[in-house]
Amino acid sequence: MHEIKISLPFQKQAYAVLFVLILSLVRGITYSYEIGIALEAPMAILAASFCADTYTQEITSKRSEIQRLYPMKKRIYSIYKRIVIQEIFLLAVAVAGYGLFYIFQNPRIVGIGENSSENEICQFLVYFAAIAVTLVVWGLLSNLLSCLFRNMWMGIGGCLMLCLITNSSIGVRYFGAWNLFSYTFRSIENSSNYSWICGKIVCICIGIMTVAALPKIMEKRG
Amino acid sequence: MGIKIEDLTVTFKNKVTAINHADLDIPKGIFGLLGENGAGKTTLMRVLTTVLSPTSGTVTLDGILYNEGNYEKIQRKIGYLPQEIDLYPSLTLQECLEYMGNLSGISKQTYKERIQYYLEMTSLSEHRRKKMKQLSGGMKRRVGLVGALLNEPEFLIVDEPTTGLDPEERIRIRNLLVDFSKGRTVLLSTHVVEDLAATCNQLAVMKKGKFLYSGNMRELLEQAKGHIWICKAKDEIMARKLEKEYHVSSKQYVGNELQIKLISEVPPQIECSSCEATLEDAYIYISNKES
Repeated sequence: MHEIKISLPFQKQAYAVLFVLILSLVRGITYSYEIGIALEAPMAILAASFCADTYTQEITSKRSEIQRLYPMKKRIYSIYKRIVIQEIFLLAVAVAGYGLFYIFQNPRIVGIGENSSENEICQFLVYFAAIAVTLVVWGLLSNLLSCLFRNMWMGIGGCLMLCLITNSSIGVRYFGAWNLFSYTFRSIENSSNYSWICGKIVCICIGIMTVAALPKIMEKRG
Repeated sequence: MGIKIEDLTVTFKNKVTAINHADLDIPKGIFGLLGENGAGKTTLMRVLTTVLSPTSGTVTLDGILYNEGNYEKIQRKIGYLPQEIDLYPSLTLQECLEYMGNLSGISKQTYKERIQYYLEMTSLSEHRRKKMKQLSGGMKRRVGLVGALLNEPEFLIVDEPTTGLDPEERIRIRNLLVDFSKGRTVLLSTHVVEDLAATCNQLAVMKKGKFLYSGNMRELLEQAKGHIWICKAKDEIMARKLEKEYHVSSKQYVGNELQIKLISEVPPQIECSSCEATLEDAYIYISNKES
């Protein structure tokens, strides 16, 4: 798996870990259910910047000129492998970040007795599913924009813009439950309300579209 | 067979014409492509590697026409070493080549055998466990060359392979190119005249998107014969005057006098003698013939 070494150099791993470590130290929370809220948007930005150079590193190093001669299927397969590796790493960082919030912020746990631990596990599993979708979509989107414009900063910038729009009061007002950050804006009081899943379905749809569009963009843009 | 270029024109979106109605035949063996910066060499290579599509004209490789439908077939026949390439710094030399071999679509066993063979040929076997970022510029260039050869291309394109290398490494790269040219076409683009003199018999000279010369190196030297002159300047003023009037290909102090090599169609109006033309002289002569 040469893709591990290519897509996860030490400096990338270090900045991702440091990012979550610092976030868990400086972002104050009171209750444990706020951990997911504190992590989702920053993790989306981290995923966008982390995955933006998945392919553009081939362009900046001029390796893309050689890669053009290779079969497209092999090239695409390698890029998807890199994305999967990066996403697994980011997911591990997001899980570690969840734990770090517990350690550094010592949040209050809602619920009494045996129920509290069950609640916590359930809360974590929901967070895990939501953050996995968030990481995948923002990583894929950032890579796609970078490939389209042949510049990783366009990928990061484009995602940052979208993030600023959707992760705001304007985003909440216009998109509601269909917001890409619907998990962050979900109703805490009513834990049985899962309408925020709509937003995650939108994320999955965007993810599928980016996966389908990537080979075409690479073919056209090299 | 080889490559046939007919009436090729490449014009960019900003209306700059990089190649202007050019014709060229590239036979088997090493073929040199010589030209100043901005002559259109890299554009030509980008067309030949299918990165760029021609605006007009035709290019064929072993009879296969360059068009979108044939690109995949053509790409399988090409190996390419770009001028500046940064090969996977976090991988070891062996891993880097294995990754390139895997991407090129050949079987694992085949690329492993070829890597071993070419690493021995390029004297890189002992460095196979070193990371790419630890290798010298010349070694990286050799790795790039091995990478370009992994799919056993019929047509190898090499862009400025010796730029920035020390003399020993340059000679090594040149010799490797000669070895690898057996049974295939190698297009060697450079503005280092010595590299071509040491490796090619056939070459083309490019200037402003056109081929000024294409053919045998001996014939190119023949063309320049009788137009290269050596004269002695007694002082700096005279030397400067000569530089203004003629194309000076070299100057050197011999004792107190300045020995100047001039390129001129007609004998200069000073005391001078005709001398043998080197490839560099012939290149300067051809490049400035029209002007």
